[in-house]
Amino acid sequence: MLLYLDNAATTRPDNRVLALMAEIDRHCYGNDSAVHVMGVAAAKRVERARLAIAACLAADPDEIIFTSGGTEANNMALSGAPAAAGPRKNHIIISAMEHASVNNPALRLKAAGAALTLVKPGRNGIIDPAGIKKALRPATALVSVMHANNETGAVQPIAEIGALCRARGVLFHSDACQSFTKTGLDVKEQHLDLLTINSHKIHGPKGVGALYIRKGLKLPSLLAGGGQERGLRPGTRNSSAIAGFGLAAELAAPAQAKKVAALRDLFWAELSGRLPGATLNCAAAPRLCGILSVTLPWIPGAAALLQALSARGVCLSAGSACAAGKTTPSAALKAIGLSDAQALRTIRVSLSRFTTEKEIMLAVKEIAALAGKGKGRHAR
Amino acid sequence: MPAEKIDLSGVPCPANAARALMRLEGLDGGAELEIIIDDGEPAANLPPALEQEGHTIVGRVRAGAKWIITARKSQ
Repeated sequence: MLLYLDNAATTRPDNRVLALMAEIDRHCYGNDSAVHVMGVAAAKRVERARLAIAACLAADPDEIIFTSGGTEANNMALSGAPAAAGPRKNHIIISAMEHASVNNPALRLKAAGAALTLVKPGRNGIIDPAGIKKALRPATALVSVMHANNETGAVQPIAEIGALCRARGVLFHSDACQSFTKTGLDVKEQHLDLLTINSHKIHGPKGVGALYIRKGLKLPSLLAGGGQERGLRPGTRNSSAIAGFGLAAELAAPAQAKKVAALRDLFWAELSGRLPGATLNCAAAPRLCGILSVTLPWIPGAAALLQALSARGVCLSAGSACAAGKTTPSAALKAIGLSDAQALRTIRVSLSRFTTEKEIMLAVKEIAALAGKGKGRHAR
Repeated sequence: MPAEKIDLSGVPCPANAARALMRLEGLDGGAELEIIIDDGEPAANLPPALEQEGHTIVGRVRAGAKWIITARKSQ
């Protein structure tokens, strides 16, 4: 039996989403920019998704720009922010635990002459708004802090950070790919100017995401082309994937998050009972319902850990999925104070609404059996 | 009963027609929807798109650079 506990990397598409997409691809394949009846039919699918996603964020539908995913949306936000913020705004602040699709565009801006400040989280995995406040300068164009960390699940105080950015006239962006539909998002209450979300973390298809852009904010486009998505994201829209994304958002319900959180807590209760040497990272922080970061007391070696678990049927990540294959310690885990050795012994267990109690119990048994092999040996 | 309204200013074709049609889907047969739409292609393209789906255009009034188009939902 395969135990899929890597839902922070990607989720299984909901069957209803797959059925909708197949139906659109077969029968509703017109270009949604065309004004004929087939175009209008495709546009209805796209606009329904735009309305559904906007409703999830308390945004206006015209503030939603569809992209190829979270990476593209983050790149649009980061690389466009200095131009959007205005002249002499050449300072960017990001957290020290951002996804590579925020971190690397920020490094590009730095290479092009911008000043960049990285604000570290505390040991609880939380960015202190006071740390952001201290880093702000008159030249600050943008602050970008993810809503929930993809490795620890720690939910960041974005409403407080957004409020202080708004008070100082600084643009605020958040990458909410992990948190979208799982914990509260309200672009007005959280004072967001830019927000990244994607589809495949919420049981939708891969290859589609969106950027919320606050009305009135003028962001340059990454690509030059036609006028789709208000000229910000030219190119024929993937209408079936967008419709699938919209349906996935409609199917997500707050009750599901409670069920997932209960299974997350069951996992930790069972694992910590069997492996007293295991530690739960960011235990004191508000955490996302579906992510657990656990440092194991012993592993068979950093490179062999995931293969050993995979051989036991357990699919999960050590560090973020984008870093999978590398055995360098995760920067996000180091930012919360873990040593290199501790970071390399850390696994990320991530659940979805399809995860069952039986799967949790089987996975705990396998992980405890593997990490328990080191009993009596020194932690590496 | 006052007609439902939808402001589709700035919404390109055919997304404007798509949104108007979705709104009409939520109304009772015979109910009217007032649609604010930009002059030019949007005002030209929207009415036939609604008529093609069986709705009736019962009013077209110019309001500066926009039009107010009233559609009656099919029974």
